[in-house]
Amino acid sequence: MPIKESKPAVGSADTRLEPGAAVFELDNVYHRYGWNEVVFGVSLTVHSGEVVALVGDNGSGKSTLLKIMSGYHRPTKGRLRLLGKDVTFRSPAQARDAGIEAVYQDLAIIDDLSLWRNFFLGKERRRGFGGLGVLDVRGMRAECEIQLRALGLVSIRSGDQHAWVLSGGERQSVAIARAMYFGAKLLLLDEPTAALSIRETGLVLQGIDDAREKGLGVLYIDHNIGHVLPVADRILLLEHGRIARTIMRGDISEDELKEMIAKTPLRRK
Amino acid sequence: MAHSDGGNQETDNALETAASAGSRAQPVSEHTMTDNVPGGPPGRRTVATRLSEFVGLNQDRDQRTWRGHVFDWLVKRRELGPLIGLLVAIIGFNALTPYFFSQTSLTAITTLAAPVCVVSIAVSFLLISGEFDLSVGTMYGFTPIVWIILFKYNGFDPGVALALALLISLGFGLLNGVAVVVFRVPSFIATLGTFFLLEGLDNLLIGGGDLVVENNVPLMSAMGERLGTTPFYAPILYALALIAITWFIFTRTTYGNWSSAAGVNGGVVAKSMGVPVARVKMINFMVTAVLSGFAGCLESSYLRSVTQNQGTDLALLAITAIIVGGTSIYGGSGSIIGAAIGALLVSVVEVGLILIGAPGTFYISFIGGMLVVVVIFNARLTRLQRLSRT
Repeated sequence: MPIKESKPAVGSADTRLEPGAAVFELDNVYHRYGWNEVVFGVSLTVHSGEVVALVGDNGSGKSTLLKIMSGYHRPTKGRLRLLGKDVTFRSPAQARDAGIEAVYQDLAIIDDLSLWRNFFLGKERRRGFGGLGVLDVRGMRAECEIQLRALGLVSIRSGDQHAWVLSGGERQSVAIARAMYFGAKLLLLDEPTAALSIRETGLVLQGIDDAREKGLGVLYIDHNIGHVLPVADRILLLEHGRIARTIMRGDISEDELKEMIAKTPLRRK
Repeated sequence: MAHSDGGNQETDNALETAASAGSRAQPVSEHTMTDNVPGGPPGRRTVATRLSEFVGLNQDRDQRTWRGHVFDWLVKRRELGPLIGLLVAIIGFNALTPYFFSQTSLTAITTLAAPVCVVSIAVSFLLISGEFDLSVGTMYGFTPIVWIILFKYNGFDPGVALALALLISLGFGLLNGVAVVVFRVPSFIATLGTFFLLEGLDNLLIGGGDLVVENNVPLMSAMGERLGTTPFYAPILYALALIAITWFIFTRTTYGNWSSAAGVNGGVVAKSMGVPVARVKMINFMVTAVLSGFAGCLESSYLRSVTQNQGTDLALLAITAIIVGGTSIYGGSGSIIGAAIGALLVSVVEVGLILIGAPGTFYISFIGGMLVVVVIFNARLTRLQRLSRT
């Protein structure tokens, strides 16, 4: 399902990147919550048109890494590089402005807001009136309806409907489409297929494929190895906040990978 | 997720809307509540289908009559519940007493409603963004006390004094905001602290007495005098203006959008989407404090005095108006217009009960009962609305 190439609402640069160019790099990143260290010297690179999957047991630091990349946390130590330039994000807003969009498990969409308000949340289109932040309601509603239809959500009658009309899979697809719409260069996904039906999972994985084809870098966390293997170009196995192994596509079978994760040695005191 | 993607084919839509819209006309009837089959079995004409035929909801959208459009618009409103409540109260009291629409009672209702309305709107914004302010009641008494002391005993110009008094309430709002946003104190506790703090300051300032303004102060007249020969007084004008302004901010500006988003899941979603949640909450705390202080000044201008008791029930009364008006206590969604209707409803009930001969102070018990009944009613109504909105 091709998404209509429309002008990015905010002044973000062209999303087309050279295939294979490094979109985002983590260089020797450490993080701790209080005294609890969770990430130890992780370096990784996500390239344009590449899907990198982060796998590992609970508490291995996957989500923390993702939140560092999305500007939600700041690393205790280490550097972030976007398109080869050093960056520091003070807030997710800054990260979004730079072209990094994150989609979290069940936190992508707000039920009580209408569809268009969700779609444009944090990136609202405004009309003049001296920067008062008056919303361009009609424009956003119409654009949202176009985007949702392009996704194949024909049951949506109006952008004014509340987001609770979306099923779990539709929410994730909308969130992914939204990320691409705003000209993301790097797409971060935290367990987008958790608690989805087979059909809905297909929808989400399709969205990831679309993002790759458009040249985005995708970093993807999932517990379900069966979902990771078909889409990931590269799998990083995280153990206790360190990258234990890098696995290229096709190097490993599902059972082998599962065993590898399950065998992670217990944390030494 | 109340609903996923079933039964949404375009062809069924008109019928489905008709059925659920019709059944909404009788929200208390258990029969229509559970009767989810669009239109019911063929040939059975329920009240629901008859009503939807009357308003023309079983037509296609572009063929609908104006009745259908009005009805369709109305039933989707969050304000429908409080509006029904208000109509029931007005019709009921009007049947019970011939004085309900008298000049005196209109004056009483509107002057009671105006300050409650201003405070309710202020607290709505805060509640929608996921926080709560218990100190609005004492702020409502404290600010006019400061104002009147400043111009009556300290020789300040009343306008300057008002600005200073509101600035002080802004400071307390900031205090609440810092405690909640920076130090992560739950808003209930932080504002309980401010509540006591202000009560103690009131004691220091007027020690249980009252302040009366005898001489003519033009600013007070502008804020509290009678509007010509109408039964209405100035505070209601300020309340109406505020309703219009805040409604616009809430529904048509980025800030309103951010306020709603900040109230969901502690603001995690909003923050990850780039909304400055902390700043939004901080501003809402300050606006709430200033507006409740201003409401207190309106009331004092109308009364030309202030006592230490001013606003004792107000925080809870405002909450009642807001909840009755359809705002979620969990944050994230709400309605400014609903809060205003809720404030009016509370005042109508207060005045109505006195008119039919109930003791003047009894009304608060009635309000308590009404709150719970309306919330139950609203919840059922919302469920029906959700079904039809899918």
